[in-house]
Parts: sequence; structure tokens; C-alpha cells
Amino acid sequence: MSKGAQIALGALVIAALLGWYGYTTLAGGGTYRYYKTLDEFRADSPEIGSGSLRLHGYVALDSIDRNVPERRVAFRVQNDPPHRVGASADTVQVFYGSLETPDLFKDGAEVVVEGHLEQRHGDTVLVADNVMAKCPSKFQARAEAEASQAL
Amino acid sequence: MSELGDYALTLALVIAVLGIGSGVYAGVAKRPEWTRVAERSLLVVFGFTSLAMLALFTALGTGDFELRYVAQHSASTMTLPYRLAALWGGQSGSLLLWLWILTAYGSAAVFAHRHRHRNLMPWVCVVMLSNALFFLVLTNFVTNPFERLPHTEVFSDGNGLNPLLQHPMMTIHPLMLYTGFVGFAVPFSFALAAMITGELGTTWFRTTRRWTLFAWAVLGVGLLLGGRWAYEVLGWGGYWAWDPVENAALMPWLAATAYLHSVMIQEKRDMLKIWNLVLIGLTYCLCLFGTFLTRSGVVQSVHSFTNSGWFGFIFLAYVALIAAVFFGFVLYRRSALGSPHRLESVVSREAGFLLNNWGFMALLVVVFWGTLLPVFSESLTGERITVGPRFFNTLAGPLALFLLFLTGVGPLVAWRRATAASLRRQFILPAGVAAAATVVIGIVFFGEIDFFAFACWVLTAFVMATVSQEYFRAIRARVTRRGESPGRALLHLFRTNQQRYGGYVVHLGIAFLLVGVSGAAFNEERLENVQPGDSIYIADYRLQYLTAEAIPAQHYGGAKARVALYRGDEGLFVMTPEKRMYWLEEQPTSVPSIYSTSREDLYVVLSAIEPDGSATLKLYRNPLVNWIWIGGGVFILGSVLILWPHSRARSATAA
Repeated sequence: MSKGAQIALGALVIAALLGWYGYTTLAGGGTYRYYKTLDEFRADSPEIGSGSLRLHGYVALDSIDRNVPERRVAFRVQNDPPHRVGASADTVQVFYGSLETPDLFKDGAEVVVEGHLEQRHGDTVLVADNVMAKCPSKFQARAEAEASQAL
Repeated sequence: MSELGDYALTLALVIAVLGIGSGVYAGVAKRPEWTRVAERSLLVVFGFTSLAMLALFTALGTGDFELRYVAQHSASTMTLPYRLAALWGGQSGSLLLWLWILTAYGSAAVFAHRHRHRNLMPWVCVVMLSNALFFLVLTNFVTNPFERLPHTEVFSDGNGLNPLLQHPMMTIHPLMLYTGFVGFAVPFSFALAAMITGELGTTWFRTTRRWTLFAWAVLGVGLLLGGRWAYEVLGWGGYWAWDPVENAALMPWLAATAYLHSVMIQEKRDMLKIWNLVLIGLTYCLCLFGTFLTRSGVVQSVHSFTNSGWFGFIFLAYVALIAAVFFGFVLYRRSALGSPHRLESVVSREAGFLLNNWGFMALLVVVFWGTLLPVFSESLTGERITVGPRFFNTLAGPLALFLLFLTGVGPLVAWRRATAASLRRQFILPAGVAAAATVVIGIVFFGEIDFFAFACWVLTAFVMATVSQEYFRAIRARVTRRGESPGRALLHLFRTNQQRYGGYVVHLGIAFLLVGVSGAAFNEERLENVQPGDSIYIADYRLQYLTAEAIPAQHYGGAKARVALYRGDEGLFVMTPEKRMYWLEEQPTSVPSIYSTSREDLYVVLSAIEPDGSATLKLYRNPLVNWIWIGGGVFILGSVLILWPHSRARSATAA
């Protein structure tokens, strides 16, 4: 076997070791998350405890409940932006066990929530371990708002 | 003025087409006078693009809100530097910037080689102008920075630049990244020109070595700036999140690092020729691919540049075309790219560099796979699956350690075949240092340290020992043989072999940076809600929340908390984290307060002032984090040493 082939084989062995190490370390919950919008979430009806989830949606208006003594924030997520469709009947309740929400987190904010599903009082809720908010497209929002006012 | 910019872009497009035609004719028919036409076309395109840049700067500076781009990204409340920096705050402006930097590099390359490489230059011009043409088509027809708003939509003021970007580091971060990305177009163009003409020797990469090093160093600085900005501004206590946009900039840097090392083997031993062409092709394609990733929204990122999927796919098609042409030529020329030499031993410098290539490729595969997993998984299974930092850290950590190990071993191992005697001579001291470090660190941090940090520190000690040994031996040789002072001897090393000795400094910088990263194993964070006068204890610090006050009204408002920091009874600092609201943009931001020492950072964020007057504070203790920035500084120093022009510089062939 040429030396180059030996090196390639050695690299392959190291890669396999790394792959095995990665596989065993990363197995179990939390590493791989399904990424879904709320509509997709409803359509697929993920089972409770079926793994970690990343849910994309928008914070429903007037849904944020910040409980300082209990150090948690509860809010509801809807599929489409409130500034476009208004309040939506279809929302999912999210419980986030921290007061540390992103700067851009507010009514109507576009969010990605990571967590898992639980049953509470007969409802399916998302227990979040991370909440991320994205920069909204401001020009779009303002132009649409002004256009709707002009009508 | 803005109409002038618009016309300038149109003219630039026309000249680019003419230039490509001239270059192809010059190359095919071997007509040197037409090479001059192609070269001058590139200069003219640069001139027109500069005019367009000036026009857009003027529009931004004077607040011409009739232009859609100015209205979207600027506002009269912003200070002038930020109004100007808004040029690269959005899609079309940043594409114009890319184009300008590309034609600037092209013009500089044309000027630098105006008396040389007459066979290569027509094709270099063709490749550069073809790239420029793509961006000219985009800025003329698809997303024009000079587009005017219809009268019904004109506002008296703009939307303003995202407040997160109103930071000195952010004004230059995109500039540095683009200067890095686009710089790789030069070696790429020369590589493609070499394959077209069949001149497959060392000329193409030796000519472009400094250009590549410069682009690579600047891209590295751009990455560091991005990390530092994230740390100082975003308020999550971290500096790197393996976000798709971050990975998009990292991937070309990884490929370029492999390339810079790999070409040394071709220079010395005429080997790895195909590797080198593949690596530079990969580097440039990854730059374009990264631009595609950032703009297409195909992978969700917290940096939402734009979400127009179709536009991103124009980029993807272009990358695919470039890759097909370049790698098509590599295939076409493969028989001429063989090497007269074979790898003689797995314990040799050549083998070390080959392993280095594989190591960087593995890291690239990990980052690429993790970033694009949502796309791959959706196309294969219909489900989008994402991974987070844990995936990347788990796989990248061991690879980084492996590369750190090679950093120490590679420069010392003999060429062709290392004998037991040479290994002993070279490694006995560094191995001893590593063994001592293992024992000391093991004892001091027993039970407290994770494997990555432990291995990282031991390997850093090893690398420091190898670098010190190299410098010491070289200086001692000159002192004993020529009677020079150590200082003069050191200067001489940098003058005559700057690539090697400057490269060692870069290696040290990277080692320090990894030490800084390893400190994350010891990170602590706390979220506390406190009333005025209350204290929070973390490690050996005490933080006492004093008061909060309103920020004086300006284009932002909000609250500033005052938190006294003590270690024992010693008052250290008054930390002043802020929660700001930018009125025009209706966007809140957190401005953390950071107390930095070489040992650790104490990082405080004001989460909220609650209705009952209490403050919710998030605290982070980040040990060793400043070694990242120290390592970055050493990296920059090393890069400067490598690039420094010496009047008597001999080409550094000894690797």
C-alpha cells in the first residue's frame, strides 16, 4: 500500500472514531430538533414526548404573562404575524422557565421556540428551554400599516 | 448624483462584457495588445463602480430618502459614520460593495502584474470580469441600490439602521469579511488561468501568495470582530453560536487555511498539486456559497438579511456554474497534475501537511453538514431537522485538538522521512514540556476540568515549546556563527524567512484562542431578581444592585442600572448595564457591562426593570475568555509579520 493510501486509511479510521464519538455523545434528546411552523405542527400532530421541537411562529397579541416571583414567562404563539392577520384563534401555549427573554421579544415578534411538549390540564403546551426572536422586516410592516390606514 | 450612480453601473456592465470578449480573444489568439484592452476594461469597470459607490455614499450622507435603499437603511437621526456605513447594511448596497472590492482587487492585480505573466493575464481578466459581470447584472436588473421609491411611498425620514449594527465594530466587520472573501478571487483567477493555459507549475500560487495571505488574514480578523461584537453587543454572554451566517464565513477560512499550508508542499516537493487547486476552488466557491446562504433564507438564521428564496437561488446557480467550470478544468488537466515524488514515510512533514488537509476538510464537512442539515433532511425525509451548538462543539472540538497537535509537530518533523534520531532531537524538549504540563495541570485541576480543556492546555504548552525551540535554535545559530546580537538575529529571521517565523506567531495566536475557548467549560451563569441594596454572590465576587436611572433622551432611551462589584471587601468597579429602546426603529437592545481580567470576565446584563422596582439581572462568569481576543491580537501580529514587505525579501521557500 502506498504511503498516501496509508495516510488516507489512517484519516478514515480517525474519521470513523470521531463519527462514533459524535454519535454516542449526541444521541438522546436535544441535539436534533424538528423545525416546524405552527401550521405544520398542527398538521403533523407530534406526540407528547416525541422529542425536541423548534417551533416557528409569532407572539400572539396581549398574551405575554411575565411572572417575576415564579421566574417564568408564559405566552401564546400563532402561525402568522398579527400585524397582517390580526388575532388568530389557533395558538399554542408556551411556558418558558426564565425571565430572560430576548430584546426583541414582544407582542407580534417573530420567534423560534425550542423545547418539548407536555400535557397540562388537558392542553398540549410547549415547555420551552430557549426562545429566540428575529428582527422583523420593518419597512414591510410600516408600509403595510400605512397602506391599510389609507384605505 | 444617484442617477449618475445608476448610469455608472450600466456602463460598467457594458465595459465588463467588452473586457471579457477582449480577454478571451487575447488568450485564444495570443494577441498581447488585446490583453491590454482587457486589463484596461477591468480598470474602467473599477472606475465606474467607484463612481456608483460615491453616488450611494452621497445619497446616504445627505439623506436622499427618495431612494428606496436610503429610506430602508438610514435615518437623519443617525450620525454620519453610521449613515455611510448603512451602505452595507442591506442587500443591494452590500452587493455593490462586493463588486467594488472585486474590481479594486482586479485593478490592483492588473497593475502589479502589468509587465509579467502575459500568458496568464488575459484569462485572469476574463475570470475577474466574469465575476464582476454577475454582480453587475444583479445590481443593474435585480436589486438596484439606486431604485427610486414611487411618489406615494416616499417618507420624510428613513427607517434607520438596525440599532444592533450601530456599533464601531459592526461598521467595519462587513468590510473586513468582504475584503477577505473577495480577495480569494485573485488566486482563484490565477489558478483558473493556469489551468486554461496549461502553465501548471508553481507560478500561479507563488504570484498570488501575498494576496491570499492578506485575504485570509483579513477574513480571520472579520470573524474575530464578529465574535467580539456578538459578545459586547448582543448580551447573551457568548461570542459564537454556530449560526448559519457565522458558519458561512468560517467555511472559506477553513479551506483557505488548508490551502495556505498545502501550497508549501507543492513549492518544496512538487506534490499535492490537485489538492491545491481543489482547495483554492473550494475556498472561492465557499465564499460565494456563503453569500448565498446569508441572503437566501434557505436556512433559518437569527441574522435575517432577507428571505427572498428565489434571489438566493440565482446565487446558488452561479456558484454551481463557477464550480462546474473550475473543477471541470481540474479534471481536464489531471494527467498533467501528477507529482514526480511519492510520499516516502508517514512520519514526515509531507504526511503532516496531508493530515492537516484532511483535518481541515473534516472540520469543513462537520460545519457544512450541520449548517445545511435542515435542507438535506427536508429534501430526503420531508422533515426539517436542525442542530445547535452542541453538535458543532462535540465534533469540532476533537478536530481542533488534532489540528493543534499538528501545529506543534508539523514544523519540526523532517522532510521525506524522519529518523528516530531526528525525532529525538526535535521533540525531546517539547515532549518533556508537554509531560510536565500534563502532570501540573492534572494535579492543580484534578476533577474540575473536562478533557477538551485539559488536552487544549497541554497541547498549547507543547506548541509554545516547539515555537520557542525553533526561535531559540535559529537565533543561537546566527549568534554563534555570525556574532550577531540576539535582537539583530531575530530581525534577520523575520526578514529572510518571514513566512516561517511569522507563521509560528500565528500558530501561537490560534493556540491562545483555543485556550480562551476551552474556558467555556468553566462558565457560570445566573439570573437574579434583586431589589435596590440587595447583593448577588458569584464565585468570589459580590454584586450589589444600587439603583437604576433613566438614560438621557437622545435617539434612544431606556434604563441604566448601577451595580457595584466587589471581590471580598475590595471595590473593583461600578457596572452599568443598560436596556435601551431605539425610538425610530422601535427596537430594544441590551448593552452588557463587562469587567475584564486575563483570568476571566464578569458580564452583567440588565434583563428588565420590573414594575415593582426590582431589577432582573443576568450574570455570566466567563473564565479565560479574554485569551480569545489576546490570541486574535497575536494572530494579527503574526499575519503582519508574514506580510511585511522587506526590501531585500527573498521568497520564503523553506517551510
